[in-house]
Amino acid sequence: MPLVEYSKPRWSDKFLILDLLEGLKTTMRELFKPKVTVRYPEERMEPHDRFRGMFKFSYDRCIACKLCAVACPIDIIYIDVHDEIIQEGEKKKKVKVLDRYDIDVKRCMFCALCEEACPTKPKSIWLTTKTYELATYDRNDLYFNMQELEYWDERPQYTGLPEDDQKKQIDGQKQIAGDVQ
Amino acid sequence: MNHALMHYLVWPLIKFLIAFVIVQAIVAAMNWIERRLLGLFQARLGPNRVGREWRIPWGLGQIIADPVKFLLKEDIVPSSAEKVAYYLGPMLPLIPAFVVFCLIPFGPPPTFIAARVNVGLLLILALTSTGVYGIILGGWASNNKYSLMGGLRSAAQMVSYEVPFGLSIVGVLMICGSLDLVTIVRYQEINAWNFLPQIVACFIFLVSMNAENNRTPFDLPEAESELVAGYHTEYSAMKFAFFMLAEFSMMIVNSCLIVTLFFGGWTLGMFGLGLTTDVLAKMGFMGGLLGTLIFATKVMMFMLVYIWIRATFPRYRFDQLMDLGWKFMIPLALANIFVTAIFILAGQERLMYWIGLGAIAVTAFYLFKPRRAVQKVIHAAG
Repeated sequence: MPLVEYSKPRWSDKFLILDLLEGLKTTMRELFKPKVTVRYPEERMEPHDRFRGMFKFSYDRCIACKLCAVACPIDIIYIDVHDEIIQEGEKKKKVKVLDRYDIDVKRCMFCALCEEACPTKPKSIWLTTKTYELATYDRNDLYFNMQELEYWDERPQYTGLPEDDQKKQIDGQKQIAGDVQ
Repeated sequence: MNHALMHYLVWPLIKFLIAFVIVQAIVAAMNWIERRLLGLFQARLGPNRVGREWRIPWGLGQIIADPVKFLLKEDIVPSSAEKVAYYLGPMLPLIPAFVVFCLIPFGPPPTFIAARVNVGLLLILALTSTGVYGIILGGWASNNKYSLMGGLRSAAQMVSYEVPFGLSIVGVLMICGSLDLVTIVRYQEINAWNFLPQIVACFIFLVSMNAENNRTPFDLPEAESELVAGYHTEYSAMKFAFFMLAEFSMMIVNSCLIVTLFFGGWTLGMFGLGLTTDVLAKMGFMGGLLGTLIFATKVMMFMLVYIWIRATFPRYRFDQLMDLGWKFMIPLALANIFVTAIFILAGQERLMYWIGLGAIAVTAFYLFKPRRAVQKVIHAAG
């Protein structure tokens, strides 16, 4: 028994012209349907919640334990630490202070093992930042130090607009950033 | 003497130049319109970027960018090409495609037609059918087997479809009793537009004009999946642009022809009502411009039909193409002539309008009537 049973052909199905016009009707309907194209620099798609994007680092949360550097399979996290003694009431406490936290992102494969290894809660290095505009004109621009890792998302986004418009937008963003500070 | 010179040479030349420049501007725009519309038909947007730096909307800069690209590209001539024929190839289809524009009535006569010839239709057919020489010559001179195959296919196809193309016009000629395009239009505004009594001829004309232009359901001469690019494989830069220019010009010529022959030319009315030539003549020069605008609108509609058809139908196989031409189109056109002749002999020309209207109504009924469920899924037992 056939799984799919088609309706019997009608006598009007024998005319080629009707089929042709049916095809034309279909394409005309497609013409007025909304298009799926996303006009990228002007329109952006919001990535999903678990999207793995560019790093973000938090100096305040980091305890300088170097576990991320140990976990990194290609050793591209460079950390320098020195000890400082802080007077806390009666006690003297030894605290590790970060001098250097650099990631050579151009060699990174975004495996997120550093994020897994991080013992702080919430994580002080994480990749779920919903960013994907990482392209640069110089590969050395992808060597990020501590400040850059923390504040890179304040860079102006590529807008695809003519140059004077882009400048205006950058100025506007700077102004907003200034207001926040 | 001086008056005759003005009347027979200078004014027609000026009119022709105006028509030529406007048509070439449309041809340049058609490239963008076609790509954009094809995109919209295929659920995408098409070229919409060029010219954003200069605030030109919708990618209209493409219209300027394409010719500039063609002008600046390197012009490669194959070393084994037959030089004279290779250079003649792109030029030959251009000349008839350009000359034809002085014979087409863009608006009410005598202002908006460059040269009113009493066998205008015959002259247009004779000129347009010479376009195939350039394609064969170009295909052969390229010294490339795919080009040659494309050229030969084009020759076979154009010769085959020239016959139904010509035969479909005969019915119109019998009704109107003239080869003069102006007379044909004047007949249509007094009686009905010719697509009503000649609905079959109109269909045949539409199909064969697609075949004549090597447009998509019949674009075997340039079938890119089989023949690289067909007859213009070896052509680059401006020579390739000439082929494209000729193709788009011929598309406009054929659209003008179908509008003139079947859809009432520059008039907007039937049975002597509406915007007929007399009404336009009362409005003076502005009326003439209005008539030209109506004509241009109708022509653009048929250019869009070209693109619509291209977006819809897949390419024919070559033997099926020949079958369609010789076994279906030509007998149908001959039958149409026969039936039309019987109606004219019986003096029942008005009856043909009603038959045409009935055919359109029945087709529309079957096209738009709600469908029964097309398929029914039966779950397999066990």
